Parts: sequence; structure tokens; C-alpha cells
Amino acid sequence: MTDWYMLLAAALFTIGAMGILVRRNALVMFMCVELMLNAVNLTLVSAGRALGSLDGQLATFFVLVVAAAEVVIGLAIIVAIFRHRDTASVDELSELKG
Amino acid sequence: MTLAQATMIDPPVVSWLGIAPELVLGVGAALVLLIEVQWKPSRTAIAWAGGAAVIAAALLSVLLHARIESGDGISTFLPFAGMIALDGFGVFARYVLLAVAGLGLLAAQRMVQEAGTRAAEMVALMLLATAGFSLMAISANLILTFLGLEIGSISLYVLAGYVRERGNSDEAAIKYFLLGSFASAVFVYGVALVFAGTGNFSIQGVHDYLDGVVVFEPGVILLGLALLVVGLTFKVTAAPFHSWAPDVYQGAPAGVVGFMAAIAKIGGFAGLVRILVSAFPDLAGDWAPVVAAIAAVSMVVGSVLAIVQDDIRRLLAYSGVAHAGFILTGVLSGGEGTAEIWFYLAIYAVQLVAAFAVVAAVSGPSGSRSALSDYAGLAQRQPFLAATFAVILLGMGGIPLTAGFVAKFGVFSDAWAAGHEWVVIVGVLASVVAFFLYLRVIVTMYMDEPAGEAAAAPLGVRWVTSVAVVVTLLFGVFPGPLLDLAGRALPL
Repeated sequence: MTDWYMLLAAALFTIGAMGILVRRNALVMFMCVELMLNAVNLTLVSAGRALGSLDGQLATFFVLVVAAAEVVIGLAIIVAIFRHRDTASVDELSELKG
Repeated sequence: MTLAQATMIDPPVVSWLGIAPELVLGVGAALVLLIEVQWKPSRTAIAWAGGAAVIAAALLSVLLHARIESGDGISTFLPFAGMIALDGFGVFARYVLLAVAGLGLLAAQRMVQEAGTRAAEMVALMLLATAGFSLMAISANLILTFLGLEIGSISLYVLAGYVRERGNSDEAAIKYFLLGSFASAVFVYGVALVFAGTGNFSIQGVHDYLDGVVVFEPGVILLGLALLVVGLTFKVTAAPFHSWAPDVYQGAPAGVVGFMAAIAKIGGFAGLVRILVSAFPDLAGDWAPVVAAIAAVSMVVGSVLAIVQDDIRRLLAYSGVAHAGFILTGVLSGGEGTAEIWFYLAIYAVQLVAAFAVVAAVSGPSGSRSALSDYAGLAQRQPFLAATFAVILLGMGGIPLTAGFVAKFGVFSDAWAAGHEWVVIVGVLASVVAFFLYLRVIVTMYMDEPAGEAAAAPLGVRWVTSVAVVVTLLFGVFPGPLLDLAGRALPL
């Protein structure tokens, strides 16, 4: 039974990872990272359930807190970018190259 | 477990001394911010407060080291329910991290002065980043490793975008943030899969599980291990996961780039060595070829691409990719190479901070233009800066009688002894190529006609470069003491 949850989590993680690679809007890319972190949470919970251990559930809280901290910093950076250039597309951020 | 069982659990052993350096750094960061709000002291005083926290943490690390060596006063080496490992590995990691933090603060002096009212934030972020990567190095549990990695990384994302008035800084920040949090997500998915496969978060537990049972279907564990390796090699800028590094190093404020680059590399390698050597030695047959391939690709890509750069920061970033590859060859020998890895990391981290301190002095602490042509004739304009930079670059290139040579020789001989001859041959060839790029900078500084006037180097930068020169030459001629200290930096 928990195998299906693990597979669902793997699918969500893959969708998130593909989103990072394919999408070009910083906000959408950031949401994809959050999707990946939630896939991790689902994996932890279902693995903990399958193993009969509370550790999986406990670890989820830490991942949640880290995700929240990332939201704070990430949105701040994206807002700073948007104020500067009226765009959140990473393709238009290309001054640094060589 | 049921509630009845839960109430019978023994309370975990608490060892405040075991985490004292991290506590001091964290409390120091909070105090710096509060002092700034309450008393509005001068920026020099804020920088000194940060320096005091680093020195206090270093003194506590020495005390902790003495306690661990003598064995008294430490009732267990895995306090906090096995979350923290009190071992030589963590102690040496703290020495290196705190040295980098101290030198980083010195090199960032000018930036702190120019930061206006936000000087305290910068010092606090540097302290927090140090505390995070330090937690990562002493962690004996994969979840704590992840937390330490994130405390450090998130602080660095903010530092990268610190000079937000200037466009390139926020571009560097968003690139670092998106790719860095992607790598963190990959890492923590690896943690989750390892947990699903072994039922353990603790490094010792994973090791015992893999040691005790024959795993018939190791697919989930191997996938988890692969994701852990990818996540961490991303943080240490090994190819093919290095693409963010040149952009971030170029765009982030010069005053802190050296600190950012060095501290992330130390933390990343500490986590990587702990995980591969302490948790997964039984799967070495599976991870060694992958790590060997990453090392070889990093050495070649880093050295070759560094040559074609005409911006000194991108040049240093690509040479950092090559150095990540060199250090990874030391990981190949399993636990045997830990001392050599630490020797290499300690030397390289100091050189990296000093090299970027020179960049900050030549092109301004918050500027982002640092073309190689700015360095033409630096020897005539700033003889001291040019001479020290030349020694540091020669040390990075690894010519004999510098510590860089001892470091490279150490990791290569370990990898050779472990039977990875082809990686060593690739590595030696790559170091020859890489040597030319360091020579190119030196030739530009000494042979070309002076270009423009440069401002006098700040005192802090001169101190940092002097320390790096002493380290490079002293441990190049007498590597014994540091090798001896690193030799005791073994994980539990």
C-alpha cells in the first residue's frame, strides 16, 4: 500500500525537477522546488508508516521548517529582482556570463 | 511506539560543550543584530563583535579538542541522542571553518564600512553561515546534516544578493538561490530514500544496517545515495553540477565571495566525507566509480574552462571546480584519505579567501567588474599585493615547496594506492593545464604595462594575504604539524 505513496512522491519529485529545468519564470521555478520538498515529506511519512517508526513523521517537521525559511528568502530575492527590472524571467537575467 | 513506551525513554545525554562553538556563533549573530539596534555602534565595533564571536568559538573548540583527546569530561561521543559526533573530524572542521570565518571578516572590512546601516546584518549572516556548515560537519544524523546545510546555504543566498542596489548582485542571488535550493531538495530526497531503505537517519545506524544484512534489492538505497552525492557535489561546485558557480562568484559582492566559496566547500566536503566514509563504506564499490568520474570531469572541465576566462572571478570559480575534483580524488580511497582531504581543504580555503580579498582590493569590495586586464602591471602599482597574490596563485597551482603541492601529492597518492590510477593520471595532466592559468595571471601582473591607478589595499586585505602566504609557504616546507593534526581528524 505504501509503495503507491512512494511512487506518487517520486512522480511529484520528478515533476518538480523537470519544472526547474524547463520553466523560466523564477516564481514557477521556486514553486517547483517547494513541490520537490513536499514530495520528500510524502516519502518520509509513507516510509515511516511502512517501517512502523515515528522518525519519518518527525523529520517531516524539519523539512517543513526549512521549506518555510526558503520561502522567506526566496520571495524576498524575487521581489528585489522584480522591483529592479519588472520581470521575473530568469532568461532576462543574463548579464553574468563569459 | 505507544505512549507508555515513550515515557520510559531515557533522556538524551546533553553536552553543551559539544555544541558550544555553534552556540557562540549563533548567539553572537543575534547579539550583533541586537547591539546594532540598541546602541548604533560604529561599524568597526560591529566587525570586532563578529570577530570576538569567532575567536570565542575557536577557543571553545580548542577546549573541546583537549577534552576529546584526553577522553575525560565527555561521557559519550554521540551526545544529543546520537545527533552530534564529538570526534577529531568535527574538531578539525571547526578549526578550518573558524579560520575561514575570521579571515573572511578581515577581508570584508571595507565592505562592512561601506554597508551603512546594514553592516550588522552582514556580520550576523557570516556568523550564521559558519555555524550552519559547522553543524553539518559535526552532524552524526542525516537530518541534522540537512539542517546545517540549509542554515549555511540560506545565509549565503542572502550574502550573494547583499548589495541589492547593483543589478548583478541580485542576479547572482537568484541563480544561487534557485539552483542551491534545487540541490538541497535533491539532497533531502536522498535522505528520505536512504531512510526508506534502511530505516535509519543516523549515520552510524545506516552503517550498521548495511554491515549487518545482505540487501537483496538495494535500488532505493543506491538511488538515495546517488541523490546525496549529487546534492553535495553541487554545493562543492564539482562538474557537471558547477554551472552556477562562475555566475555567482562574479555577481556576488567581492568582499564576501571568498568566504562564501570557501565555507560552502568545507561544509560540503565535510558532509560528503562523513556520509560516504562513515555511512556507506560497504557500498564503496558502487559509489567509488561515480565519484571517480565526477572528480575526473571536474578536474578537466575546471582547468580547461578556467584558461579561456578573461574575468578573474570566473577564472577563480572554474579553478575552484578543478580543485573540487582534486579533493574528490582523496575521497576515493575511503577512510584512508581523510587526513589528506582535510589538509587540502584547509590550505585551499585560506588561499581562496585571500585570492578574493585581492580581487576585492583591486576592483572594489562591492563592484562586479574584475577583468583580468585590471591586473596588468599590478606589480608596479601595488608590489606587496601582487607579490602575495603571486605566491597564493603558485600555491593553488601546486608547485613544489608550497602547501598546494603537498596537498595535491597527498590526495593523488591516496587515490593511486586505492587503485584509481587513471583518475590520478587525469589529475596530474589537469594540474599541469591549471598551472598555466595561474601563470597567466602572474605574467599579467608582472610583465604587462600598468593599467590605471589602483587604490591602496586596505589593511585587512594585506593581513589576509600575508596569512595565506605564510600558510602556503610554511606548510609547503614543513607540512608535518598540520598533516599530524589532520591525521587525527577522523570520523567516529
